[in-house]
Amino acid sequence: MNKIKLLFVFAALMLAAPTFAAIDTIAVDVGISVFQTMPIGIVPFEEEGKIKWTSEAPHLILARDANLSGRFEAVPSDKFDLVLFSKKRARQYVTGNATKLSNGKIKLDCFLYAAETKDLLLGESYTVKPYDVRQAVHSFFDKVVYRLFGERGVATTKLAYVSKIDGMKQVMISDYDGFSRRQITRDSSINMMPVWQKGNKGLVYVNFRKQRPNLYAITFGGKETPLFTQYKQTFSPAVNPKTGELLFSVTDGAKTEIYRGDIKTGSAQKFLHLQSNQVSPSWSPFASEVLFTSDRGGSPQVYAVGKDGSDVRRITYMGHYNERASWSPEGDRIVYTSMDDGKMNIYTCALDGTDIIQLTSNAGNNEHPSWSPDGKLIAFASDRGGNYQIYIMRKDGSGVTRITNGTENTSPTWSWFFDEKK
Amino acid sequence: MGKFFKVALMGTAVALFAWGCSKEKPETDPQPKTAEAPVDSSLNLEALIADTLSADSLARLEAERLEAERARLEEMINRIMVEDVYFDYDRSDLTENAKRLLAQVAEILVNETRFIVTVEGHTDARGTEDYNISLGARRSTVVRDFLIAYGVDGNRLMSVSYGKERPKVLGSDESAYSKNRRAHFRVSIANNE
Repeated sequence: MNKIKLLFVFAALMLAAPTFAAIDTIAVDVGISVFQTMPIGIVPFEEEGKIKWTSEAPHLILARDANLSGRFEAVPSDKFDLVLFSKKRARQYVTGNATKLSNGKIKLDCFLYAAETKDLLLGESYTVKPYDVRQAVHSFFDKVVYRLFGERGVATTKLAYVSKIDGMKQVMISDYDGFSRRQITRDSSINMMPVWQKGNKGLVYVNFRKQRPNLYAITFGGKETPLFTQYKQTFSPAVNPKTGELLFSVTDGAKTEIYRGDIKTGSAQKFLHLQSNQVSPSWSPFASEVLFTSDRGGSPQVYAVGKDGSDVRRITYMGHYNERASWSPEGDRIVYTSMDDGKMNIYTCALDGTDIIQLTSNAGNNEHPSWSPDGKLIAFASDRGGNYQIYIMRKDGSGVTRITNGTENTSPTWSWFFDEKK
Repeated sequence: MGKFFKVALMGTAVALFAWGCSKEKPETDPQPKTAEAPVDSSLNLEALIADTLSADSLARLEAERLEAERARLEEMINRIMVEDVYFDYDRSDLTENAKRLLAQVAEILVNETRFIVTVEGHTDARGTEDYNISLGARRSTVVRDFLIAYGVDGNRLMSVSYGKERPKVLGSDESAYSKNRRAHFRVSIANNE
């Protein structure tokens, strides 16, 4: 129920925004996937009446969702073709019917079939405005994921990130695949470090309009409020996935420390009592522990600490610059950025800092990794193509796909699931 | 060497400012004009309103003029203090060059107490946004502490970090990086009489 409501809120927001920017996504594959992906047949929808799709035809959206998901490999076919599906080991396929209604809306009947028996595994019907077709197809795709894996998919999730517009850094949101972009901030100072509030109600981000870094909260379709104005310089926000409480960095003089605060009441107190500087806090999936970066060892390194601020332990030892760690939603890995020879690259490691895997290499700078809420994917920013753009890869570094273009796009942060339960 | 010239220039600027203030003082007083209206016994409401309005707008014009004058001076002083303090990679301690420059800046600030200075800390493009804000904060604070130690009133010195967000020079080589690892002065003039 809640999910449907939120989707409609977003649909309304998208309608209000006049700029629909379709982006060509370009796949750049590096690395060898250790993922076992499931082939799935994709057959174009039967169309009743000539339909002019606002962005793409439904089967193309489904194919992109499948290939980006880290779970599937799309097996496209012009029509149902059991020989092809068998050869490619696609045991299921998706297709549907699309009907243009007299009121301008489009009725989409979407189906998931077992290829061999042609048994209907899942059927969903959506009647939407042409602009909302992408949203409806993403919804169907996440139902397919749930039907076949028993897990929530990320096709209906979103990204927040920073775009340079007329030379100014502005906070944007878009669908997870880079489509349906919408500008959130519109002032002439620097806007950066966006993170999603709990329940995806809005964002928290940093703005420099007072000639210093300050945190602000914005509610979608609502207004912006300054946060924790008792401190002069605030940044590095991190939202508690259970309570919505915020961890953030406060700079006072030369010292930067992590505080925890309540967005609604504005009250805050020091989280860590350490001699060192601390930035980039990040909660564990069940909010029982926190990762952060400290320079206590002479260089920035990643540490973990209990949610009560006790029991600090060091995670990273390799190299001289390890920063911006975040905990996988699955709970078992940490992704972070490491600088070597002046180049930034993305690594993951186990919770005790062992089993280090380098996910990016020999492709410019790669930074600001952000987990998808299902833990299968990582969004990041890279200047491998000349200027900074946002890419998605699987958690093992394979399937790198660019999802933005144009002027600089940086600092992607993945939303939470839109059907947050309980 | 060039600093002497700059100090001289600044002296001129300050003198200009003082002269500007003293010369215009008598004209800023709007009293005589508003006082004229009640003298008229026929209580012409329209004229009264018109007069008050013009007195208001005169005062506003005068305020605007003073503000423009102040802005012009601020710009001039900011040009004088255009030199930045540079740092080594990932460091926030002052080099010998930096200390020499800061001693000159401190000299100016000790003598001219109306200046309010914001020290901005900046970093090069390498590294994360988050860590670079903390690094920039250390740089701006080191500069502020030096000036205070030299005798500048700490209440007139603010420090702020921009991290890597405001590079002076674009580029991804050491020549660009070295110019961006800096503390920059933003000077304004105290707004009191």
